[in-house]
Amino acid sequence: MLLKLLSSQKIIYHLILFFSFSLSVNYFVNLEFINYLSYAIFHLTLIYFVFYFFNIFLFFIAFVYGILFDIFLIDNISPHLISFMAFVFLFYYSKKYLLKFSSIKISYIIIIISFFMLILEILIANLFFNYPINHKNLSWLLLTLSIIFFPSLFIFSKIDKL
Amino acid sequence: MNLSFKVKAISKSRFTKNLFVSLIFLVSFFLVFFSKSDYTVINKFKSISNNYLYPITSFIVAPVKIVSKIKTQIYEFRNLKIENSILQEEVMRLKKWQALAIHNNSENKVLKKLLNATNSNLTLVKTTSLVSRNDFMFSKMININAGLKDGIINDMAVVNYRGLVGRTVDTTVGKSRVLLLTDPNSSIAIKTISNENYSLLKGAEDGIHLVSSYIKGEQLPKVGDLVITSGSAQVFPSNILVGKIVKVIKEKFYVLPFVDFKNIDYVQVVETK
Repeated sequence: MLLKLLSSQKIIYHLILFFSFSLSVNYFVNLEFINYLSYAIFHLTLIYFVFYFFNIFLFFIAFVYGILFDIFLIDNISPHLISFMAFVFLFYYSKKYLLKFSSIKISYIIIIISFFMLILEILIANLFFNYPINHKNLSWLLLTLSIIFFPSLFIFSKIDKL
Repeated sequence: MNLSFKVKAISKSRFTKNLFVSLIFLVSFFLVFFSKSDYTVINKFKSISNNYLYPITSFIVAPVKIVSKIKTQIYEFRNLKIENSILQEEVMRLKKWQALAIHNNSENKVLKKLLNATNSNLTLVKTTSLVSRNDFMFSKMININAGLKDGIINDMAVVNYRGLVGRTVDTTVGKSRVLLLTDPNSSIAIKTISNENYSLLKGAEDGIHLVSSYIKGEQLPKVGDLVITSGSAQVFPSNILVGKIVKVIKEKFYVLPFVDFKNIDYVQVVETK
């Protein structure tokens, strides 16, 4: 039953999510770019996954990853949980309008949402837990996201064709 | 009959979906709320993730860790010649200091005996290794391989050979997390060695320096002053080396910690005698 629910593409996306999550929560001092890369990939994958494979179960996935990211990276629950849940919730109630757009427009929406999500997480962390906005980290993250955006979408489209 | 069954099935599924969504939102709201007020629920989550999920994520990222180590080793190998000459010079310098230290040590022992003073205010609880780091992006934390079973509890001071590293938080049976000095939410009561200026420090925005959050009195310390723990907040024992003042701007001063937070391998958990 569970296997039927999970198609091969979904399994691959879940694996990407878990692998990028694992890389994001373990800091590599000498390979810092891996952390930025995996953190950006996680956000991009989650948004793409929600857009093209929406299922009510994704609320639970967003919930679990939100809590885990918060506990591992912030040691308090809020920023990731709020931004992930808000995104899935907004998508749930606007999907019938969003999915009318062409695939190119959806791609642009995905990158805009990723930017917003990252900024929102940093803002919530700053507001709730007093973590200062580190402009260097934010710029690196946004730059990484911009660089990997098109290659990631290309890989995702290949995965979809499996 | 058939149509009504279909309608019922859809409405039932929609009801279930909405119920599920509402439930998830309710739980999220409570968790966000509890993270600010009730620590028992949050601590349960933390201990579960620390005990069960960390080993899995560590196992998954093991190849990357190996690559990271190899990169460090290659870098060290490249700089071997320069490092060797630096170390030779340092050995010469330290030999002179050693002679002086031995002389001072014996003198100190005699003076302490005369004053009836204790040798040190620290007791070593556990020397342990670093398991993984979580100081990417937000909080500045590391995970160490010792916990409640080793006698470690929350809010114990963690040091290494260079000075103060941080304090323990989220202690579980076998593991603990250490909140580093550089975390913006850490607070360290310090004093300067030269004129005993009492202040509070927290992690600065750059994640490298410490910045003063409160200064007792109106006099600002000078650049170059050494900073040690004052012991007044009862969290850290007194007289542990923290860092050196590198910048004084307006009403704030910046401290560069002695500990190299990027190269921590082993730490010692200590408590006041």
